[in-house]
Amino acid sequence: MSMLFAGRAVGATASQPNVLQKLLRAVLTHVRQAITSLGELWRSPLWALITVAVLGISMTLPTTLHLLVKNVQQVSRSYDESFEISLFLKNDASATDIATLVTLLQGDAEVAKVRLIDKAAAMAEFKQQSGFGEALAFLDQNPLPDVLLVTPKKNQPAAAEALMHKLEKERFVELAKLDISWLERLAALMNLMQQAVYTIAVLLLSAALLVIGNTIRLSIMDKKAEIEVMKLVGATDAFIQRPFLYTGIWLGVFGGFLAFLVVELMLWWLQGAIATVTQLYQSDFVLNSLSLREFGYLMLIAVTLGLVGSYIAVRSHIKAIEP
Amino acid sequence: MLRFEQVSKGYSGGFVALDRVSFELAKGEMAFLTGHSGAGKSTLLKLISLIERPSAGKVFINGVDLSSVKARQIPYVRRDVGMIFQDHRLLMNHSVFDNVALPLVIEGFTGREMAKRVHAALDQVGLLDKARCLPATLSGGEAQRVGIARAVVNKPPLLLADEPTGNLDPDLSKDIMRVFEAFNQAGVSVLVASHDLGLIARMRYRTMTLKAGKMINDGLTHQEDGE
Repeated sequence: MSMLFAGRAVGATASQPNVLQKLLRAVLTHVRQAITSLGELWRSPLWALITVAVLGISMTLPTTLHLLVKNVQQVSRSYDESFEISLFLKNDASATDIATLVTLLQGDAEVAKVRLIDKAAAMAEFKQQSGFGEALAFLDQNPLPDVLLVTPKKNQPAAAEALMHKLEKERFVELAKLDISWLERLAALMNLMQQAVYTIAVLLLSAALLVIGNTIRLSIMDKKAEIEVMKLVGATDAFIQRPFLYTGIWLGVFGGFLAFLVVELMLWWLQGAIATVTQLYQSDFVLNSLSLREFGYLMLIAVTLGLVGSYIAVRSHIKAIEP
Repeated sequence: MLRFEQVSKGYSGGFVALDRVSFELAKGEMAFLTGHSGAGKSTLLKLISLIERPSAGKVFINGVDLSSVKARQIPYVRRDVGMIFQDHRLLMNHSVFDNVALPLVIEGFTGREMAKRVHAALDQVGLLDKARCLPATLSGGEAQRVGIARAVVNKPPLLLADEPTGNLDPDLSKDIMRVFEAFNQAGVSVLVASHDLGLIARMRYRTMTLKAGKMINDGLTHQEDGE
């Protein structure tokens, strides 16, 4: 609508489109501006390339560290059995008492699995593994207690410990045991590493944000005359800033994808070396790469950085340019 | 259409660009604004297009007080006022067509409707065959006419021109003025700031003369010593 002249048909509103047409037109305008921004990036490839490289590299390091943490976690997860709590039962517990206890534990929300190793089975295993086979035959009574192996639902050492203390109080339990100190240390180390990854990520991404902001600022300065003309013929700030925001988004898309490519390349490069190591350790370790979801997050963060970086630049600089 | 009421504009440092200027431009009227460089012509036009705000007094367009227009509404005011500049201010890396289409793109036109209007505007200034050219390949007069086409493409009721013939030789200047006359005859109000007194005198339109920020003459002929 015209500001000054009531009844003067202005702009595309003159044809009085309905809501759907308006929406379609708005979408079309956005798509067109996005493509125009892409085209402009293409025409000025050097600065765009440098910014994409900065963003890509800034995102590569945190992504790599994240993968490292993830893979170490995967290795440590294979030691989950160590979280088993051993419950040594009292000697006077009858078979029925034990069966009741097992059922009880299986019903516990914090317990994932209960396994019973009874005296006889324990003895047989001990005979076989210890090498005292003959000597043990001279015992007139089996000195080993019945043992229940309880696997907690939660994998954190603290939770396992809490569960252990709870189970200790059960009636037929003589002693509960959980060797978790080294697991606790590993968990603490991993936590430290994760925090470090986050800190580095925040620092690097802030730097990338500033670089993007500066790139967009330069591009705005470059188009100062054009922006002045657009303001003179009645363009709103929103209209003028949109192409720059799209430029930021495109920088994010390409930067994120570059980071993904570099990480994948690095993994491919390391695959051989890792295969050698795992072979020597006879482990079935498989190097995990980025999942689709993590790739999604990577791209989302990159695009957000591009958008926010350009928004900061646009916000302060486009208003400042007046004809 | 356009009314100034005791409008003054001073700049920091004490320089007074306009001093209590009042006039009214009727709907469909064409007038010249003249005076030496620094007399306040450009400032007066800038107050209409809201590039500047007056220090005192009021400017009305079609009865709307421009002092009531908020900063974010300025773009919409400018869409109602076609502006032409001495240095034509074309986008040099866009084709003539794109330059003329700019106001339409801003208003959300697309496709065939936009092309139709751009071609109509270019036809009115006689440059239909140059639509695909870049502004750098045009002569001064042609570039200025592209500027006019851009100003009129969305059919504003009011047209402002700031020294549109400043860089042109007399023949080309006459052509440009004829283009303005044609738009005026189609019902558009036109205000042209120019110091080309000879040309203005021959055109015989209402002429307002500014001197040191004061309106010293408002009539059919130019009078420098009308104080």
